[in-house]
Amino acid sequence: MTVVAAFLVPGSPLPLLNPENGPWRPLMSGFARAARSLAAARPDAILLYSTQWMAVLDELWQVRPQVSGLHVDENWHEFGDLPFDLRIDVELAEACIAGSREIGVSAKPVDYDQFPIDTGTIVASTLLDPEGRFPLVIAANNLYHDGPTTRRLAAMAAECAKAQRKKIAVVGVGGLSGTLFREQIDITDDRIARPEDDKWNRKILQLMEKGDASALERVTGDYVKEARVDMGFKHYDWIVGGIGGRYFGAQVHGYGPCYGTGAAVVEYRL
Amino acid sequence: MAHGEILAGFLAPHPPHLVYGENPPQNEPKSEGGWEQLRWAYERARKSLDELKPDVLLVHSPHWITQVGHHFLGVPHLSGKSVDPIFPNLFRYTFSLDVDVELAEACCENARKRGLVAKMMRNPKFRVDYGTITTLHMIRPQWDIPIVGISANNSPYYLTTEEGLDEMDSLGKATREAIEATGRRAVLLASNTLCHWHFHEEPALPEDMSQEHPHDYAGYKWDMRMIDLMRQGKTDEVFRLLPQFIEEAFAEVKSGAFTWMFAAMGYPQIPGELHGYGTVIGTGNAVMEWNLVKAGLAGAQRRTAA
Repeated sequence: MTVVAAFLVPGSPLPLLNPENGPWRPLMSGFARAARSLAAARPDAILLYSTQWMAVLDELWQVRPQVSGLHVDENWHEFGDLPFDLRIDVELAEACIAGSREIGVSAKPVDYDQFPIDTGTIVASTLLDPEGRFPLVIAANNLYHDGPTTRRLAAMAAECAKAQRKKIAVVGVGGLSGTLFREQIDITDDRIARPEDDKWNRKILQLMEKGDASALERVTGDYVKEARVDMGFKHYDWIVGGIGGRYFGAQVHGYGPCYGTGAAVVEYRL
Repeated sequence: MAHGEILAGFLAPHPPHLVYGENPPQNEPKSEGGWEQLRWAYERARKSLDELKPDVLLVHSPHWITQVGHHFLGVPHLSGKSVDPIFPNLFRYTFSLDVDVELAEACCENARKRGLVAKMMRNPKFRVDYGTITTLHMIRPQWDIPIVGISANNSPYYLTTEEGLDEMDSLGKATREAIEATGRRAVLLASNTLCHWHFHEEPALPEDMSQEHPHDYAGYKWDMRMIDLMRQGKTDEVFRLLPQFIEEAFAEVKSGAFTWMFAAMGYPQIPGELHGYGTVIGTGNAVMEWNLVKAGLAGAQRRTAA
C-alpha cells in the first residue's frame, strides 16, 4: 500500500505558539496523538499541501533538499517566532513536477535560499513530526485551481510515490469554518465564532468519522459557502485525491477554535 | 505645537518585475531589462519626490495581509532578504530600512481612537513583504528616508468592498491626524495595481516584452477611464466608480491603499500627474502623483498664502 496514513490538520500557528492556552489544548493533544500515529506508520515521505502556501502562476513544488530558518507570521507576530528545518524528498518532488505537466497542469520547482515557507507548512510539520524523521513533498495552493484539479494533483503525486516504491502519508493543512474574530479577544475565552459554524463543523467531522465520503460530498458545497470554509476546503480535496477517494472512517483527535475559526486534527482510516 | 502635513501622494504599484528589470545590486536575479515605460515612470516620480524632501514615506501594501486589525511596522530598523513567494525567480532582495516608529505609533493610536482595531508590529525578526519593498525601492532606491509600513487588513475581502473601504477611509484620516500631530512632512505611497487580471504563465524569458500586453481589452479600457478621470482631478467621480471598477476589473485597489491615501489627503479634486502606465504579466499599472505642494494645498505655497 502506497498511502499508509492521512491527516487533516489546522495551519494556524496559535496552538503551537500558545500550547498552554485552554481552548487550544484539544488541538495540541490531537496533534500529539496524530504524531504518534504518523510515527507508527513510518512513511518514506509526507505529501503535504497547505492552504497558506499560495501560488497564482503555476503549481509550485519545493525542491530544495533542506529548508531551514525562522518565520514570523504576518498576523500573529506578537506571539513569537516559528523556527523550521525541513527535509525535502527531491526525487519525489521532481517526479511530481513532471507528473503535473503530464496531467496538463503547469508546474515549477522552487529552489531558493530563504524562500518564505508558509505558516501552515511549518505548524503541521513541527507538530506532526517534531523530530523531522520523514522527508516532505510540499505543494502550493494555486488560488486558481479548483477542488477537482487539487484532487488530480494529489492523485498524481501518490502515483509518483508508487512508481518510486515509496510509502507516503498524505497531509492536508487548513482550517474548517472561517469566521474569525476581527477584534482583540482574551484568548483564554476563544470559541467557535458562530454556533451555526460549530454545528456545521461537527456535522462534517461526524461524516468523516462514519467514513461516509459520499454524503460529505453532497453537503461540502453548502458547508463551504455557509461556514466560509478555509480556501473552499481544498485541503480536504488534496487528502481525498491522495488516498484514491476512499476511506473507511476517521478519528477526530482534536477539535476546537482558533480565534473563532474552526480547526480539527483528523486521522483517516484507510 | 507641531503641525505636519502631507506633501504628496503617489500611486506606486509593486510588481517585482520592475526591480528585476532595473538590476539593482540588492536583487540577486539579473535581467536584460524590460518594463521600461514603468521604470522610466518611476524615474520621473523619483525626481519629484527628491524635490519634495519629505521626512518620511508611508506605504500601505496589499502583500502584508492581516486579519485582525491594521498593523504598523514598529521596530526602528529592519533588515533581511525578501523572496517573493509568487516570483522567486525575479525577486530576492536584500533590504535594510529605518522605521519612523514615533509616527507609526501615532498612526496606530489615532486609528484606535477612530474605532479601528490597530496593532504595532514589534517583532524584530519580522520579514517585510515584497510589496512594501518594491514600492519603496522604485520610488527611493537610496533608502535614506525613514518609512512607516502599514498592513492591508483583509476587511474589503472579508466584509463587503464598501465596508472594507470605509475602514481604509478611517485609517487614512487617522494617518493624516498623526502626521499633523507629529510635525512630519510626509509622502504617501499607495502600493496598488489597477486592473489585476493577469496571465497564468510566464514567458520563458520573463523580460521578453514582445509577450507583454494588457490581459484583456475591457480591463485596459477601465484603466484608461479611471486614469483619465484622475488626470482631470475628478476625484469624486473616481470614488463613485471605484466599487464597479474593482468588481469588473478585479482591481487591486480593493485592498485599500488607494482609498487610504486619498482619505489622508482629504480627497483633493486636483489633477493627478501620470508619470507612466504599463502592464506586467497583463495587469495594469500606473505611476501617478498628486502633488499637494504644487496644488497650493501644502508646503511653502500654502504658508505664503496664509
